[in-house]
Amino acid sequence: MQSPLVITGMGMISPLGCGVKASWERLLAGRSGISPITRFDTADLPIKVAGSVPDIESDPGAGFDPDRVLDAKERRKLELFSLYAMAAAEEALSQADWFPTSDAEREATATIVGSGIGGFPTITQAQTTLTSRGHRRLSPFTVPAFLANLAAGNVSIRYGFRGPLGCPVTACAAGVQAIGDGMRLIRSGEADVALVGGAEACIDPLSLASFHAMKALSPEQDDPTKASRPFDQARNGFVMGEGAGLMVIESLAHAEARGATPLAILSGYGTSSDAHHITAGPEDGAGAAAAIRSALKMAGLSPEAIDHINAHATSTPVGDRAEIASLRNAFGDALPGIPISATKSATGHLLGAAGGVESIFSALSAMHDRLPPTLNLEHVDDDLHDLEFVASSAREHRSQHVLCNGFGFGGVNAALIVSKV
Amino acid sequence: MPGRRVVVTGVGLVTPVGNTVKESWNNIVAGKSGIANIEHFDTSGFNTRFGGAVKDFDISPYLNPKEARKMDVFIQYGIAAGVQAIEDAGLECTEENSGRIGVAIGSGIGGLPMIEHNHNAMNRGGPRRISPFFVPGSIINMISGNLAIQYGFRGPNIAITTACTTGTHNIGYSARTIAYGDADVMLCGGAEMASTPLGLGGFSAARALSTRNEDPAAASRPWDRGRDGFVLSDGAGVLVLEEYEHAKNRGAPIYAELSGFGMSDDAHHMTAPPEDGSGAALSMKNALSDAGIDTSAVDYINAHGTSTQAGDLAESRAIKKVLSEHADAVAVSSTKSMIGHLLGAAGAVEAIFSVLAIRDQIAPPTINLDDPDDGCDLDYVPHTAREMTIDVSLSNSFGFGGTNGSLVFSRLK
Repeated sequence: MQSPLVITGMGMISPLGCGVKASWERLLAGRSGISPITRFDTADLPIKVAGSVPDIESDPGAGFDPDRVLDAKERRKLELFSLYAMAAAEEALSQADWFPTSDAEREATATIVGSGIGGFPTITQAQTTLTSRGHRRLSPFTVPAFLANLAAGNVSIRYGFRGPLGCPVTACAAGVQAIGDGMRLIRSGEADVALVGGAEACIDPLSLASFHAMKALSPEQDDPTKASRPFDQARNGFVMGEGAGLMVIESLAHAEARGATPLAILSGYGTSSDAHHITAGPEDGAGAAAAIRSALKMAGLSPEAIDHINAHATSTPVGDRAEIASLRNAFGDALPGIPISATKSATGHLLGAAGGVESIFSALSAMHDRLPPTLNLEHVDDDLHDLEFVASSAREHRSQHVLCNGFGFGGVNAALIVSKV
Repeated sequence: MPGRRVVVTGVGLVTPVGNTVKESWNNIVAGKSGIANIEHFDTSGFNTRFGGAVKDFDISPYLNPKEARKMDVFIQYGIAAGVQAIEDAGLECTEENSGRIGVAIGSGIGGLPMIEHNHNAMNRGGPRRISPFFVPGSIINMISGNLAIQYGFRGPNIAITTACTTGTHNIGYSARTIAYGDADVMLCGGAEMASTPLGLGGFSAARALSTRNEDPAAASRPWDRGRDGFVLSDGAGVLVLEEYEHAKNRGAPIYAELSGFGMSDDAHHMTAPPEDGSGAALSMKNALSDAGIDTSAVDYINAHGTSTQAGDLAESRAIKKVLSEHADAVAVSSTKSMIGHLLGAAGAVEAIFSVLAIRDQIAPPTINLDDPDDGCDLDYVPHTAREMTIDVSLSNSFGFGGTNGSLVFSRLK
């Protein structure tokens, strides 16, 4: 019998705030992290709201203070998504108390931080520089700043982690797949401890306009907190968010041997491909259902054993329906009894970081028996009345096993089951 | 490698020296360079004005050209190499096996041409000028996504991005996926097309590129005293990996066994390796120990060898550290001397060369190595290919961010 894999540390930077505690408390309190964009001028843009990480000036309680992560000179060499990853890593590693100093322990520590896009703002700013002022004005840090694997790279450099380094870039499934990769590395003996999750910071004029061009974003501009409304009849697209969610994982035996406290168990993981369409899932949800089934199989659980589902639910008309189809496909008659939450209603869609952040929310539900609310869910789709959504406010609910989904463009699906210790 | 055995049953290539495996490999063995002046945009004023572009590429045998226009060039290269590999392996996707076949093809940079184009379009004409196909046409996991859609592969689907180690990591990840039973067949590798104004300008600003504009074919010269940086190149490499019994049962051609995979992290600097090559050494050591192969059994190493001052020296030191006295008996070559550095595709293209070296019992050469630098004193197979016994080959990749990967291939016994 293999020792179970457990989470021993968690760190988060989200539109709700910095730190796991602040984000979780605000999530449970029903607060929204969606606000008007102030980082750049949106006058000529069709999209003016996003789930931006609050800054320390506007939110002294839980705003992001870059000076606490890295000094201003060093910050010029890297992108915001790397900075968020470094902040989340510090929090997760501190909780896990994993700051190895020996070569053997450093070589046995993996760093897998996924990202959907990487340093997009650096690319667009560099392109502006190139076209307006010429290539000689490009910063020497342009390339290392935008490479998607540099969130993992910068974190590993800071802590001296010399084990496997990786970065799945599977659009919106990247965060969950990074966790799955880390689990495999520990199982295969390539690492004893892995820092896993996702980071994203691509709120940028071009990225907003591009997702708008494919009609993926909510056009709601007047009331930002109402824009993300998964499963609600009036939903009309996702809201772009940013942040990072990272966790420290290891085997229970390894955690116990070093006196670390296991927070939750990673009991199952599965991944699959729709093989259907570049941006839409199949109507029967077969692809995502296959990922959920293989996660259940790894966990050795029947569908009835799942107590709560943290849905991928991005608030797009088609995507939310496809996810329900996949849940019906995988759970059958057991689905109506399982409470479902969509935390993107409060955070927006963090793309490659979504899986990292939502896996942490799932772990917290299992740890505290609290289910976060789905904001703005006023009228569910007509054919979803048999299902149990955790709507306007948080709920107490005994949660032994929680399912967390992550799906991405290209038809990539990933599912994770987090369980109570 | 613990778990089920994994073999290579198909290969596909698009490189600066050819748009098929046969053409590329023949030119590599012949020591031909694919490096030339960049013709696809105006490079006047750039410090570096040459690269390893793909020439005379025609997507139509692989994909409807109308569909292809919605996809960035790196995706087109990846699909072309993928289709070649599938056909080479004689792989058929059926209702029964579709859930057991997955795809893991990455890119180090992704869709720079489309990003540049749409950025300029927006600056000129506002957000309405952006194509709805821009996002799905340029994000990195769309080679994996499109090939899965094209063939109906419903198994694991992923795209790992680790700069210049991308190809190697996707192959290693795929081997593990098969070894652990999550799939029976994986299509894996990498693709890149970043030789654009921003790509060339960005790497040039980082002072990573050779500036030998007067003689492009001589610019990529790993381990040579006159080396002055790498050459930015484009292309793709895709392999079909398959569980051994699965391949045998369907009578598939088997090129070699993928016997070991190792990874490591320098944890040192964003763009430079540690001088002693310790990160690279750990990656090779992990791969050899995964393969359960003694260091003295290694016959050929396809080195990362990018033709940079620090990188080439560090890798040579790492090889000596891992192989100790056996290092002198191993043939080490850098095929980047002919094709330049394909970034996220490099590991996949070079893994294929390492496999073909076993099939044909030939070590490809390192061209342009006229005057080996101090400390670069291994047997680098200078100038001309060598016929020799190759039972075990090792392929290295190292990337920005300090990420390392090594693959071990063995002749099937």
